[in-house]
Amino acid sequence: MKKISIGGGQGFWGDSPDAAIHMIRHGNLDYMACDYLAELTLSIMQRQKMKNPAAGYARDFITLMREIGKEAFEKKIGVITNAGGMNITGAVEALQAVAQEQSMQGYRIGYVTGDDLLDKIPQMIAEGCEFKNMDDVGDFNEIKDKLVNANVYYGREPIMDCLAQGADVVLTGRAADSAMFLAPLAYEFGWKDTDLDDLARGIMAGHLLECGGQGAGGNFQYDWRGVPDMDQLGFPIAELTQDDFHITKAPHCGGLISEQSCKEQFLYEVHDPANYITPDVTVDISHATLTQDGDNRVRVGGIKGKARPDQLKLCLGYHAGYKVVTYLSFAWPDAYEKAQYAADILMKKMKRKGMQYEDLRIDYVGLNALHLDVAEVDEDLIKRMNEVVLRIAIRTKEKKDAQLIIPEISPLQLNGPPGASFFGGRAHVTDVIGLWPTLIPRDAVKLESHILEVK
Amino acid sequence: MAWAYLNTLAHGRSGDKGDTSNICVFARDPKDYPFLKKVLTVERVKAYFGDMVKGEIVRYDVDTLCGMNFVMKHALGGGATHSLRLDTLGKSMGSAFMRMKIEVEDEEK
Repeated sequence: MKKISIGGGQGFWGDSPDAAIHMIRHGNLDYMACDYLAELTLSIMQRQKMKNPAAGYARDFITLMREIGKEAFEKKIGVITNAGGMNITGAVEALQAVAQEQSMQGYRIGYVTGDDLLDKIPQMIAEGCEFKNMDDVGDFNEIKDKLVNANVYYGREPIMDCLAQGADVVLTGRAADSAMFLAPLAYEFGWKDTDLDDLARGIMAGHLLECGGQGAGGNFQYDWRGVPDMDQLGFPIAELTQDDFHITKAPHCGGLISEQSCKEQFLYEVHDPANYITPDVTVDISHATLTQDGDNRVRVGGIKGKARPDQLKLCLGYHAGYKVVTYLSFAWPDAYEKAQYAADILMKKMKRKGMQYEDLRIDYVGLNALHLDVAEVDEDLIKRMNEVVLRIAIRTKEKKDAQLIIPEISPLQLNGPPGASFFGGRAHVTDVIGLWPTLIPRDAVKLESHILEVK
Repeated sequence: MAWAYLNTLAHGRSGDKGDTSNICVFARDPKDYPFLKKVLTVERVKAYFGDMVKGEIVRYDVDTLCGMNFVMKHALGGGATHSLRLDTLGKSMGSAFMRMKIEVEDEEK
């Protein structure tokens, strides 16, 4: 019976390349898909591209392919990635250069364009598109002149078109993460639009793989001590036949594939388990099963598919002001009290200097900066604290307001309560990008598949 | 009546979509799942997180996995990059949930 193995090579932009390299070398794969795009990534890439027209994609992918692209080509392991980001043709050119350097004649680079709708927004507004926020917040009129990027999440079809044209690698922009995994499975097994349960299985294969190490024992709350060799954590691999679906990992690497490790990833960032919406199919995992089926091997069952949504999700990024975050540490005795006093000094100074801000937060790292209101804090803990880090975060409309606090932090080592220690260098003001998720009709989107063959 | 941290009976993971946080919670031992379903009501979870979660909380049960998924709106201080929290993506929301104190019978501790 035909079996297809697909690996999840990257969980985000900035992920370690080690597991991807290992699975190409030892994973016995048919495909590997590498996810680089989180919700905000495209906004960041767009800003990089505005500063440098050659940037705007995940260069990490090119570095990875320099290492394993030729081996994948020779082993006929298809590679699919959304590393194209906001500059798909730039990424294609960089990959083409690598393939030429390494004499990979006949290497076929597929790529998909058309998810970037920024230039079409004025026309869509004129045609009556309201861009209502999916989270029911805000007024689109207030952000429409501040847009940074506008990218639509799309499904498997244009990736399958590239595969059908013999692509050895496919680069996309905002393909839905799981569509990168579904596409080769649907292509290999010949799944049709009406094979909803199969499409749903392919999506969940992608869902379990798209976060890389998180699907193989990374970020594992159940028993992190029990995960072998996290220094060489393997990433998950899905094996599918027409009737069966397993999650496993490559031999000779660390990590863990267990019922519990799969469970934690299974519902991760899912909302209603009976209606997990993707561009390809609405997935119902409300009766799904995960069963240990050997060492580092879990069977996935009970996944159902329902009709795909009529609309596609468009994610707009917009300028939303500026942010600055500063840190200053204090040691025993009275670490917390001294940090509070330093915060008071800074706030008085900022008031005197006329700082205007939208939002401000003062936290004490080491005490309650992560668990906030539910952290357990008592007098005894505070009295015994060896050290604490004062953290002040400010969001402003104007950049100049955010800049005001930056030169005031390190002087507190000499001018403030005793034992302050400044670290990490001066803070920088960063742009705040707001996200505006909305739904648009499918026919507003025209995606194109292309093939480039390396000579 | 004794108490235990939820962590001793359950495990899970938190994720983010904009300003919405989801925390999935699974019984470590399937026999505790009915008990967890009984005690982890939306009202109780809402009261527990207090001001940290400003919006509505919905709980979805997946009995076949002995798990629940809590979807919490306006839970991340505005979401990345608006949020001024240290943990803008709510990676630690899962462990924050796990330190909830649950009343248990002595033998369940």
